[in-house]
Amino acid sequence: MNSLVIMLLIYFAGAILVYAANKFSAVLRDVIVVLAGLLPVALFFSIPAFEAFQFRIAGFDLFWDLGSLAYIFEALVVVVGAASLVYAISYMKGKKNLGYFYMNFFLSLGSMTGILMSQDLISFFIFWEIMTWSSYFIVVFNGYKTNKIGLTYIFFSALGAYAMLTAIVMINTQTGSTMWNDFFIAFAGMSSHYQLLISILFIFGFGVKAAMMPLHIWAADAYSHSPMAYTATFSGVLSKMGVYGLALVMIKLALVSNHFVFSQVIAWLGAVTAALATIYALIQKDIRKLLAYSSVAQLGYIITGIAVGTAMSFMAGIYLAVLHGLFKAALFMVAGAVEKQAGTTDMHKLRALIRKMPLTFITAMVAIIALAGIPPLGGFVGKWMLYESLIGSNHYFLVIVIFFSSTAAFLYAYRFLYGIFLGQEEEEFAHVKEAPLMMLIPMLFFTVLLIVTGTFPGIILGPVANAMNHGMGFRGVQWEMSVLTNVYGDSIHLSVISTIVVVVFIVFALFLILKGRKGTRYVTTKDIANSGEPVRPEDNYHFALDFYKPFERAMAPLYRFKMSEIYGNISDGLVSFFQFTRRLYSGNGQTYVYYVLLFIVILLVFSNQLINR
Amino acid sequence: MMGDIWMTLLGVLVTTLLAFVTGMFYMGASRKITARVQNRVGPPIYQNFLDLIKLQAKDTAIHHGWMQLLGPAFLMVSAVGSLMFIPVLNKGLFFENFTADGDIIFLLYLMVFGSLGMALGAGQTGNPNSAIGVTRGLTQMVGFEIPWVMAIVALILQYHTTNIAEILEAQHRSGVWSMFANPYAFIAALLAAFGMFRYSPFDIVGAPAELASGPVSENGGKFLGTMMSSHAVFAFVKLVLYVDLFMGGADNLVELVIKTFGLYLIPLTYGMVNPRYRTEQAVRYFYGWPTLFGIIAILYAVFY
Amino acid sequence: MNDKNSQKIVDVIKNFARKHSLFVLAYGTGCGAIEIPATMTSRYDAERFGIRGAATPRQADVLLITGYLSTKTLKRVIRTYEQMQDPKYVIGFGSCTINGGMYWDSYNTIKLLDMYLPVDIYINGCMPRPEAVIEGFIGLQKLIAAGKAEGAKKYKENLDWYRANQKKVIKNWVMPDYNW
Repeated sequence: MNSLVIMLLIYFAGAILVYAANKFSAVLRDVIVVLAGLLPVALFFSIPAFEAFQFRIAGFDLFWDLGSLAYIFEALVVVVGAASLVYAISYMKGKKNLGYFYMNFFLSLGSMTGILMSQDLISFFIFWEIMTWSSYFIVVFNGYKTNKIGLTYIFFSALGAYAMLTAIVMINTQTGSTMWNDFFIAFAGMSSHYQLLISILFIFGFGVKAAMMPLHIWAADAYSHSPMAYTATFSGVLSKMGVYGLALVMIKLALVSNHFVFSQVIAWLGAVTAALATIYALIQKDIRKLLAYSSVAQLGYIITGIAVGTAMSFMAGIYLAVLHGLFKAALFMVAGAVEKQAGTTDMHKLRALIRKMPLTFITAMVAIIALAGIPPLGGFVGKWMLYESLIGSNHYFLVIVIFFSSTAAFLYAYRFLYGIFLGQEEEEFAHVKEAPLMMLIPMLFFTVLLIVTGTFPGIILGPVANAMNHGMGFRGVQWEMSVLTNVYGDSIHLSVISTIVVVVFIVFALFLILKGRKGTRYVTTKDIANSGEPVRPEDNYHFALDFYKPFERAMAPLYRFKMSEIYGNISDGLVSFFQFTRRLYSGNGQTYVYYVLLFIVILLVFSNQLINR
Repeated sequence: MMGDIWMTLLGVLVTTLLAFVTGMFYMGASRKITARVQNRVGPPIYQNFLDLIKLQAKDTAIHHGWMQLLGPAFLMVSAVGSLMFIPVLNKGLFFENFTADGDIIFLLYLMVFGSLGMALGAGQTGNPNSAIGVTRGLTQMVGFEIPWVMAIVALILQYHTTNIAEILEAQHRSGVWSMFANPYAFIAALLAAFGMFRYSPFDIVGAPAELASGPVSENGGKFLGTMMSSHAVFAFVKLVLYVDLFMGGADNLVELVIKTFGLYLIPLTYGMVNPRYRTEQAVRYFYGWPTLFGIIAILYAVFY
Repeated sequence: MNDKNSQKIVDVIKNFARKHSLFVLAYGTGCGAIEIPATMTSRYDAERFGIRGAATPRQADVLLITGYLSTKTLKRVIRTYEQMQDPKYVIGFGSCTINGGMYWDSYNTIKLLDMYLPVDIYINGCMPRPEAVIEGFIGLQKLIAAGKAEGAKKYKENLDWYRANQKKVIKNWVMPDYNW
């Protein structure tokens, strides 16, 4: 049987089985979750090539095949999906309705696999809808409070889906086919109106999932309120479906090269998304919210990279997409571990968990360093390629905006680490223990992966370059295991960099640790130099409130701009408009008689025109 | 092959030592000059070496956790690591190091590595002053990085390379230092350097009178000593980077000292006559004239 | 070269550095604090002897008690002293630290600082002028160079005695462990 179909079947069968198993025993359910999560990983990486699968149903040709670009995203789906599922077993322990949760989890994993393998628009759209709905059910999983958040999410997703459906119908009327490939070929021959309309509709549809600037307002709430085990996949992978779609549309339709303005608009939207989401991320007090905004910001870089569309920036975009999947999954897992162990995710309440959860801290630190793009970890490679490609393709002001947001990202990166793990210890959290092993394993797995990609980004760049050369229409894209080269021909050697950083670090770390080691002892963080005043047990001098107040003051004009307020105004306007229309229905029979009379009068007045036509 | 490795190691050691000694003397000189400006005698120029020896000879009986122990090591990585990727002299037996393996965008990131690592170390001490100092420092960094990056982007656009050694060579080929070839970039970078060197009015991170020296307030003895040496090396790194990027590098050590010290005097003397900014004032300062010069620099590099 | 001699050379270097690099934590208690700015600034310039201010006790070498100490302040001073890292020195500044000075019959100031903290050197006078302060610092430097400034050692050895004295005047003794 076809291996693609098998993978799809595993996920969908897993969804049904896990729901059924939940009725019988929790252990059986967990076993199925792990098996159905890990089997696709084994399958995916053991099969060298996937063959296509084609069948006909209800008059439509369905054609499934895993393209070379989709291969990268599919790898992300299976790996992050499996890690999140393993993590979920510990994380979701003790919650109700787990069968329902896992069913939707598997459904969304399966539908993502489906999206990636769909070569025709029909199954693409169907899988897309399954993905939206299954993720919606998990967003509202946490109960009543999340209803409004879920509503925003489903509203925007539905808008996006209808935009996409309209585009698909248009394509069908224009080309008479429902295959992606036919569409790509026929696109160049379409009239410019259709070209513009179809691409705008598609970009709207994908932009919702990729949380692009005006369409992002669902993201922060939806990411932060769904269970963290799912958010790892939700933010890490599911948002990448939008990126995948954007990549297809932007590159395959040659929007980048043919419609200069178009690509510029999208690129700037991405950059502005990144900048604004970043400055909003750093004033959040909830770590989940912080990470959610940071996800939006990171997606902004990715969109910019793809929209600029030179070989290097596209590579950077896809690389960052993969990396973001890895480190953001790790970070949401950290947030989940903290939520589970310490009972809160509020940075105004959390204090100094570093000694209680050292391994979680290491994961968080590595993931944050990767997020901030600091060498020698994987995130740096993507940032470097993005900058170099933007400068090399003369997007010099775009690169400044991107640089601003990635410098400002250091601020929330530090706040994340400080707010949870550092600062002054507090009795309230003395009982906190390290996260359970089942949660640590996926987290540490990502840690290792992020460290490895810092020195050997080739393991991701290789497939990306392959996808670009075969399928995306780029010519002769080069890649190397640990050497990056920019358009000017200058290169950096990551292995040398990593060696120097590690060696220097170890030398001085050993010096600092070993010098006078015997005379050194640990004292609690309440024992501080505080003008001679001992910190009393009931006091805590942890600094968390208004953490970046000076930054807020300096950036006050930027904080005045709120997209959600604009939407709020629109919805307020609509409400008052509808309220006005509602007045027409007064409930009084007399009024309705007036309306009927008015209608007849209007008919009479215009009767000439109506009849003579 | 074996000989190569030994030569490389020797080069690393010589370069680091040079940077350390020069940086320490510059810091001593800055104290001396400040004293002379204030009509004082001032400490001897080698004062910082004495301070360093004393600090390293001091006990460190307590620590607040392993992140505090590692904090200064991060600083050292940033200082010594960046030094390895910057050509100290145009041609020199020991000063080549790993110049060919890195470039300027990479350096931008490596240079912030240290302060972030140090921030983690400072965070673990539990002293609120440390965290406040860190937030100030990071906020200020968002300020000065923008004109600095603009200047660098202008240079890259002008010389079509991101490699520092090649930017140097391009300056030699054209015979014009880039501070004259693109003066706006130099001005933007110089104004950004005020924030980078953290002399008044941008000494908002340490701010002894407000924050009890901020991030280092819980660090004495070996921590403070290591930080001091890393500051010395890092000051040298920044100066050499500026000299390489804007002043055509240096052919020998004397020229290097003259150029770097001349550059060093600018933020120093600017600071002597200025009080301290508030954090938001500092950020707004960098988003004023320096950013404008940065924009002009980029446009100049593109259209000229 | 045997071990003892090399240790001696190292000690000489260390003491020389210590002598010429004094980070002062000026605990500005009484009126004496007003003399410190004069000592540090252009007229008298204490920095030429390597004396400079430290912001926190963790970085400081010298604890400078400038004047009378009320019992309430004493508690904080003791805490500050105990947070300083070895080697550390105490300078008693002004008559108040020697015999209570003009507060000799006050009910809530201490009379002799040496009962509570090991003072290495006293600077007498009320007020001691900056010349006298510098004189005092030079005296301390001489002690350090000779390896005789061992107040901290004395404090550790006679901790019980010091604690008893301290607890006698400080009624609400709620203090964490000392950290050196």
